[in-house]
Amino acid sequence: MSATWHVDASVLESYAAGRSTQVGGASVEAHLMECRECSSVLRELMPTEPLDRAWRAIRAHVEEPRAGVVERLLAALGLSSDSARLLAAVPAFRGAWLLGVFTVLVFASAAAVFADDTGLTLFLVIAPLIPVAGVAASFGGDADPAHELVTVTPYSSVRLLLLRTAGVLMTSAPITMLLGLALPGPAWLAVAWLTPAAAGIALTLAVSPHVDTTATAAVFGVVWSCAVLSAYHLGDPVEVVEPLMQLVLAAVALAALAVVVLRSPSLDLLGRNQ
Amino acid sequence: MNTVTLTEVGKSFGRTDALADVSLALAPGITGLLGPNGAGKTTMLRIMATALAADRGTVRVLGADPATPSGRTEVRRHLGYVPQETGFPRGFTAFSFIDYMAILKEWSDPTRRHAEVRRVVDLVGLTDVAPKRIAALSGGQRRRVVLAQALLGEPDLLVLDEPTTGLDPAQRGRLRDVLGRAGESATVLISTHQTADVAALCERVVVLDGGRILFDGTVVDLVRQADGRVWLAQERHPAARHAWRTGTGRVRNVGDPPADVDLIEPDLEDAYLLLVGEAGSDPELEAVS
Repeated sequence: MSATWHVDASVLESYAAGRSTQVGGASVEAHLMECRECSSVLRELMPTEPLDRAWRAIRAHVEEPRAGVVERLLAALGLSSDSARLLAAVPAFRGAWLLGVFTVLVFASAAAVFADDTGLTLFLVIAPLIPVAGVAASFGGDADPAHELVTVTPYSSVRLLLLRTAGVLMTSAPITMLLGLALPGPAWLAVAWLTPAAAGIALTLAVSPHVDTTATAAVFGVVWSCAVLSAYHLGDPVEVVEPLMQLVLAAVALAALAVVVLRSPSLDLLGRNQ
Repeated sequence: MNTVTLTEVGKSFGRTDALADVSLALAPGITGLLGPNGAGKTTMLRIMATALAADRGTVRVLGADPATPSGRTEVRRHLGYVPQETGFPRGFTAFSFIDYMAILKEWSDPTRRHAEVRRVVDLVGLTDVAPKRIAALSGGQRRRVVLAQALLGEPDLLVLDEPTTGLDPAQRGRLRDVLGRAGESATVLISTHQTADVAALCERVVVLDGGRILFDGTVVDLVRQADGRVWLAQERHPAARHAWRTGTGRVRNVGDPPADVDLIEPDLEDAYLLLVGEAGSDPELEAVS
């Protein structure tokens, strides 16, 4: 419905500029509710910039992703928010995975504390296999469903691989070490599992262009479990992480790492099987 | 000036030649790539998009050599790519996925990056669903999410593998508008099964079959090859290579016509069917890859 009279142009202008008095402004508003003509005149007069700014802010608030728990945690550890986002796309950073890792470790450590050698054996089997499984899950065939898209971005594939591997280690290494300290036996046990873990991760990555990462990790898991169990039956499960074994495992890790480095120039292409 | 040049480029998977020493040069503008399934279209697009390395021949893309890692990185800085199929990392929204791709494309300043993500989201008509999880989007919307990330930074080269799959006619119209504008300055290569998209968008068309180029020329020239070879009749004619009953009840015959028939104007699809049929392969039987 249109009113029979219209607000004076200069009054509308000062209203649009926010200069009207309280009473004057209220009467202009009351009139605008009724009068379409004056409303459309006002629309022309209103500065658009503050509205646009408000609209952009609203969109930003609704659209821009809020960092999840994992992203915030990683940022708190000093990682840039961009790197944290790149990690959040990896399966090993999903809540369910992290919860699983935590539960398994707590049980293994509890067993180690309360069941002596048997429990220690369990801890030695599980601790290195968790990060290996994390890497397998993060770099397997369908681990990155957007793999083809990610491959053809300028972001360095080697950097992405290292970032994600380091990220996987970060999700399990600190808690495993802490729990390891609570174990009976020498304190270095808390870090003794790192070398077999490194060997497993490097092997998995080294053969990943040819063999599915889950298969490699599974084979490594079986071999490692057998080694620990044999040591247990021969007397002492800790034998499996004694200095000589550490050297052998370190050599395996280094050799596999060398393969990864040598292959890095073709890391940024789709594999043959795709 | 040519922006992409393939010279006798070959690619084999085992004993199959996916691409048999193909030569092709592209300049800015939109080129359509047609061909039956298994013709080598995806392999060719992946080579241009630096996802695959060629086994033989030389490739130059935007002045760089994608055979070297530094050349690939150089190409990738100016490339937008829509693969035939892709998944998405779990839990991402449309906006956060495009933002994630923008991070990988070296947009390090968050304010500028978010503004650019918003621009491409608006461009493909996803404004309303940008904050939604990708898992909750329809097939057509997901396809547009992939397209949006390809448009980040207005790339000089757009390589699109069946970008119109799953889009409804209105969305396809919008996409044509977006690509038409991109094609004014960029080199755009679109692989598709929709001859209508090629006819509507492309000046140039390349037809690939069995890893070889059957035709490379203008859309008009390809259509002209079917002149005098399409006719309407009451029944399917034995000499027709392809025939189907149209909505009017008459049968559209494509092939070598007998005398005294009701010849009609061919379209791109007729010409394509004739061309691929003559090459001696059956599109239905060749669905390999």
